[in-house]
Amino acid sequence: MQVTLKVRRYNPEAEKPKDYWQEYNVEVESAGTVLDALIKVREETDETLALRCSCRSSICGSCAMRINGHAALACKTRVSAVAHQGEPVTVEPVGNLPVIKDLVADFQPFWDKVRAVQPWLQTAGPEPEKEYLASNEAMMHLAGVVNCIMCGACVSDCTVLEVDKNFLGPAALAKAYRFAADPRDAATSQRMGLYNQYGGVWDCTRCFECVQVCPKGVAPMDRIMALRERVMANGLKDTYGARHTEAFTEIIEHSGRLDELRLPLKTYGYTNIPKLIELMPVAIRALAKRKSPPVLHKSIPGVENVKRIFKKVDQLQKGDGKVSTEKAPPKP
Amino acid sequence: MKFAFYPGCVSRGACPELYPSATAVAAKLGLELEELRGASCTGAGVLQESNLFLGDCLNARTFAMAEAMDRPIMTICSTCQGVMGQARQRINADPDYRARVNQVLAEEGLEYKGTVQVKHMLWVMVEDVGLDTLKSLVVRPLSELRVAPFYGCYIVRPRSALEVDEHVGRLTALESVIEALGGTPVEFPGKTRCCGFPILTINEVNAVAMVAKHTEDAKVRGADAMVTPCPLCHLNLDGYQVKAMGQVRQRIELPILHLPQLIGLALGLDPKALGLGRHIISTAPVLEKLSKVAVRA
Amino acid sequence: MASRAAERVLQHQVVVLGAGLAGMRAALEAARAGADVAVVSKVFPTRSHSTAAQGGINAALAEDDSWEKHAFDTVKGSDYLGDQDAIEVLCREAPSDILELEHMGVAFNRKPDGRMAQRPFGGAGFARTCYVADITGHAIVHTMWEQLAKAGVRVYDEWFATSLITDDSCCRGITAMELRTGTIYTIEAKAVVVATGGLGRVYQPTTNGLICTGDGMALAYRAGAALQDMEFTQFHPTTLKNSGVLITEGARGEGGHLLNKDGERFMAKYAPNRLELASRDVVSRAEQTEIDEGRGVDGCVLLDLRHLGTKLIHEKLYQIYELARDLAGADCTKEPIPVRPGMHYQMGGVKTDANGAGTLRGLYAAGECASVSVHGANRLGGNSLLETVVFGRRAGRAAAEWAHEAPEAGPLSNAAGRDMERSIRELAGRSSNGDRPAKLRWELGTAMNSLAGIFRTGEQLAEGVKAVREVRERYARVGVRDHGRVFNTDLVAVLELGYMLDLAGTMVAGALARTESRGAHSRRDYPKRDDANWLKHTLAVYSPEGPKLSYATVTQTRWQPEERRY
Repeated sequence: MQVTLKVRRYNPEAEKPKDYWQEYNVEVESAGTVLDALIKVREETDETLALRCSCRSSICGSCAMRINGHAALACKTRVSAVAHQGEPVTVEPVGNLPVIKDLVADFQPFWDKVRAVQPWLQTAGPEPEKEYLASNEAMMHLAGVVNCIMCGACVSDCTVLEVDKNFLGPAALAKAYRFAADPRDAATSQRMGLYNQYGGVWDCTRCFECVQVCPKGVAPMDRIMALRERVMANGLKDTYGARHTEAFTEIIEHSGRLDELRLPLKTYGYTNIPKLIELMPVAIRALAKRKSPPVLHKSIPGVENVKRIFKKVDQLQKGDGKVSTEKAPPKP
Repeated sequence: MKFAFYPGCVSRGACPELYPSATAVAAKLGLELEELRGASCTGAGVLQESNLFLGDCLNARTFAMAEAMDRPIMTICSTCQGVMGQARQRINADPDYRARVNQVLAEEGLEYKGTVQVKHMLWVMVEDVGLDTLKSLVVRPLSELRVAPFYGCYIVRPRSALEVDEHVGRLTALESVIEALGGTPVEFPGKTRCCGFPILTINEVNAVAMVAKHTEDAKVRGADAMVTPCPLCHLNLDGYQVKAMGQVRQRIELPILHLPQLIGLALGLDPKALGLGRHIISTAPVLEKLSKVAVRA
Repeated sequence: MASRAAERVLQHQVVVLGAGLAGMRAALEAARAGADVAVVSKVFPTRSHSTAAQGGINAALAEDDSWEKHAFDTVKGSDYLGDQDAIEVLCREAPSDILELEHMGVAFNRKPDGRMAQRPFGGAGFARTCYVADITGHAIVHTMWEQLAKAGVRVYDEWFATSLITDDSCCRGITAMELRTGTIYTIEAKAVVVATGGLGRVYQPTTNGLICTGDGMALAYRAGAALQDMEFTQFHPTTLKNSGVLITEGARGEGGHLLNKDGERFMAKYAPNRLELASRDVVSRAEQTEIDEGRGVDGCVLLDLRHLGTKLIHEKLYQIYELARDLAGADCTKEPIPVRPGMHYQMGGVKTDANGAGTLRGLYAAGECASVSVHGANRLGGNSLLETVVFGRRAGRAAAEWAHEAPEAGPLSNAAGRDMERSIRELAGRSSNGDRPAKLRWELGTAMNSLAGIFRTGEQLAEGVKAVREVRERYARVGVRDHGRVFNTDLVAVLELGYMLDLAGTMVAGALARTESRGAHSRRDYPKRDDANWLKHTLAVYSPEGPKLSYATVTQTRWQPEERRY
């Protein structure tokens, strides 16, 4: 089939370096991938087009790029799936990382963040003579995260990184979870302290972009949520994030529905005067428009049934000692 | 068209203009709503951070209630839609897991059988009411209005939980509705990005930066207003736009409308009844533009 | 590390070329031995092709298994061309190296008792292949990178090696191009460990990634080191039709069947005892015979996994489930996957001893680019990952020791770097009129596939020698169309093609000379193994006129050649 690739190009050696679009028409096999098409361009039409690629089988992680606006592996994306009615397929470098040339982005910031989570196993005590004993279930759960190929698709489309380069980001935090969830790792409390810091687990907005674009089903955001649960379970509850989650949960248990007045007060702390003063202008603007939630918060009818669910779940979970988010997300 | 109506917490709390506008539009369109009065909050993805299983149990309880009513659920909040959709997907996918959830519900004599449908009002417009019907009911066409559709996250991702492949058109539903109402959709880069609300209490600077980015992007592309199917996005985009303007030192002042407000205006409902006076960023410019168009009899 | 930055000369005690499993393991060991070590790789380490290894890694771990049984299977698999002293090292040290990987964090699948699970593999008399689902290589690569990061080893990633510097038959370092700037650097070192993996792109198609162009082998060859057994190229029995992408042997290890167009499990005719789990050369020849005799399906045979069940496939073979779906449009839980034999692995490489030492002082090699030789004429599945860790470790240790002991040779001048800079600039500045490098590579690859394939004849191989020579002549006038410095992949492709042409020359020359059939080298005109004349290694040494061949004895310790049956 014939396809038009509209490639965002950038040549740093130009007199005035500036990105621009260039269109290429290519003939590819019906089952051909975007990578096949790009390679064809590079080999037969324009050798100056720069991109990274190697394995052609979604395992080396080299060829992540934005295809029609969303991050994907070029070698896993069939042309037929993205070339809608002869429209050109747009191809751009991954987002949230500086561009070196054409589709080649600078991954230095990416790897710096991965290194920052202490991405290696930290065991304690004398090494066993043979292997560490572990359940197959636990190892298969890890393999689901180990499946990450560090392609950067999640980082490319992360909404937080778009406004704040300090955020560790989905790839590094998924890697962090891989060690936090390893039954052989003994550095839990130290790790939790590290991941609990500014730029860590609490800065994720839960926007699901990373879950959607991950080509390997790693679901980084779900791993970040699991880390939040672990951080709190390790007693680290003095962050706005943890307090927000706890306050939210308490309010639901108490009344079955959200209390928007108490949630920020409980999160920030009733005695957190500077923060409360900061809130005042927003609150006053809302009051002026009669937008504030009712001061007298009403429970839902039959709230005792909700309370009973909280109790029963607690009982069950204490019974089998499982962390609830261990349940793997469904594969995409 | 009968629905088990799940209004969510915010439409009666911090966005009190949403509930009445949604019910007024529903009445105008002949949607029969029975409210799920005893249903709890979905957990909004926040409660799920500390206990995913607990969240699934709470939502399964709501599903069981809707099953008992033999009606699909209609939501008016993308976050409720997303969180319920994810819970439904997890529970429906695994019979063992569902049994575990039902073990918890049994105390109240409830059982979730795995048949519930959860539909945002936006999808109801496209799939149940139908765009042609909607179009035929327009009395005040939005022909003067350029509207930026802001989907946010939970009504477009993760796609599998929202069944967007099974229901072609869900990912473009806002544009379809804007067009059916006679308006012009404005394309802008952030339409399916995060509004920032979930981290408002955690990292306000980032949350506000997202507001600035999206409203400004839409504004410079000529939008007169932005419409969103999510009251939480609304809270941030409207409520924190003043702060956003301060952060980027730019005047933006883009009115943010709830989906039913936009529909209601075109259907000829009273702007006051739709709660358009209860916004932080004034909606007056929108009403002024609309006033230039003659109302059809 | 010291440097003479203005001169673009960097100094380390040990330089490792390549950052796949062998390279990373060598660097880690050299660092442990106290050497100042740096890794130079044309890709970031986790992009290396070791990550594409799927099925597993072998070690005799079970009580009723033994390293001797593993060694015998390996010797037999090698068709008796493997050096038995090296094979003994490989199999004896396998258990401790794999336990070390587990201690580093590799999430190996487990048995119900919590110990590591093992699956059956081709040519093995025992289920001794440890695995992480079907992403074993990937899982080990990422763990090894973690260890490298933890140890703080310096990695020059996206640096392309352009030469080995030698001085009086002693390796003194390398020159390399930093891709981001196009700058040529000289890296001075007491010892260089070549660990650049395979040369699959010499063939078209191949399971190998686009980066597998035999760089280190070619550089060592050009520097005067001997290459060994280059005529032995493995064709993997299960590769996807269009892309040539690998489908793991683990699919058959877990119980998958091979069927011809009549639905017959044809392996019963060729290997009645081991069926689909005979050694790879045997299975590939059987498939090719079925296809050639008209019992194939569209140039393929069928790999049937349906009877394994969806649950097993999703748990243990999920990568190939996705690959078959994405690249061949086949749902392997519901339909068989069309597969055919395809170029996969190079048994030959830089000749080394069991410590990885090559034939030049200060030169070491490990992994696929080396020929120790533990694979002889045919490698067993699960032994290549094993080779990378065992001999990567040994080469890294030996290189570090040599770096400590080697006499001071005085500072290295930057002449090599300056010469290289000049010739690279000349190349990058040349006209765009010559043949495109991709076109020449395609011609080389398809010629190799048809003339030096699973079955070959003297006539074909003579033609192959000619074809390689012809492409080489046109290569002298190859066009370069990207004249920039930054990330010039056109220039890299031209340099890689030069490496591959040198290697292809040694492969066809060795194959033409070897008038017997052994392991993966299957001559239709000499269908029998000929131990009397050919139980010997081929050595190829560079000369301006072409490779000079000579022969070396095979080390035998306790296993005498026997007829090979599966």
